Amino acid sequence: MARKLQGVIALLLGVSFAAIPAAAHHSFAAQYDRSKPITLKGVVTKLEWMNPHIYFFVDVKEGDRVVNWSIEGGAPSMLYRNGWRTDSLKVGDQVTVDGWLAKDGSNLANMRTVTLPDGKTVFGASSGGDTR
Amino acid sequence: MTRRFIGRAMVLALFAFPAMAQTPAKAPPILAGTWRNQYTPNLAEALGKEPPYTAYGAERWRTVDTSKDPTGFCLPPGPSRIFTAPFPFILMQQGDMISFLFEYQTLWRVVYMDGRPHPADIADYPDFMGHSVGKWDGETLVVDTVAINERSWLDTAGHEHSAKLHLTERIKKISEDKLEWTVTFDDPVFFTKPWSLSRSFTRFDDSKDRIMPYTCTENNRDVEHLKPNQPNLSYKYEPEK
Repeated sequence: MARKLQGVIALLLGVSFAAIPAAAHHSFAAQYDRSKPITLKGVVTKLEWMNPHIYFFVDVKEGDRVVNWSIEGGAPSMLYRNGWRTDSLKVGDQVTVDGWLAKDGSNLANMRTVTLPDGKTVFGASSGGDTR
Repeated sequence: MTRRFIGRAMVLALFAFPAMAQTPAKAPPILAGTWRNQYTPNLAEALGKEPPYTAYGAERWRTVDTSKDPTGFCLPPGPSRIFTAPFPFILMQQGDMISFLFEYQTLWRVVYMDGRPHPADIADYPDFMGHSVGKWDGETLVVDTVAINERSWLDTAGHEHSAKLHLTERIKKISEDKLEWTVTFDDPVFFTKPWSLSRSFTRFDDSKDRIMPYTCTENNRDVEHLKPNQPNLSYKYEPEK
């Protein structure tokens, strides 16, 4: 039983670490909080396909007001090699973003998955499958 | 008579100059091509333990703040870290020079292969990517690098080095599509003895892919959001025996 539980915990840890995007140019933990996962639903307002990481912006309804969130993704060349293009995400797309919250309290998150209304995901595997 | 003399002279020559009887010196292996690195954000993880720190090196590791990572500010990663970043590079081999053209940060390294030493004053003019000279040891390319700006880090995890860092890299073709890269870090300020790590470079199919842009300062929004982060404060130094 204990062994089984250990196995499950190892699996969970494995999954959560595997999902953390490779941040070759800065430490993930210096910018984001792994203990603060966040889910954001909204409409894409802008995509910046630029180095060192892509950013896109999502209008999220919070009560009566709309807050524009910044979302950081992977490096453009890595995304391109995984099949993503500059039009993989378009202004006006409805998205659900799962990611981690920025440490500085700003409306910024690092994406883990971005899901479109039809269930398709975009910008996955930002790390090129190598996340060690 | 003349024919016999020529025959004897030839036999004599073969004894006197055995090399003449063999094929000319073997040309160095062709390492040129486009290669993909093995992403290694933490050298100690790849090594299976922390490197052999001096007390000073251990204290730097214990207190390192990863929000200060120079590459986070788009400064160059240094000569070895760029070979562990998840981006491909082109290796060019031309006469007395070997060069590496990296996608990451659009940087390059030159290795002088003409037998010259490092410039006498090079320590006064350090570069983030260091100064490299090289030679062939049989089939292996051996690159010697000094004058590496001490502001560069060895990896994303936050392993650092001093201005005294001396790198030796050995690159060997182990198959048509694989190079083995062994790097030795020799830095008496940070480490009690030199330590080495091997990684591989796999051939990158540039008929289907290409080296892409990476101008780090293009849109480095991250900088303004970095917060102090010291993950190793509970590290306990145990000098290696």
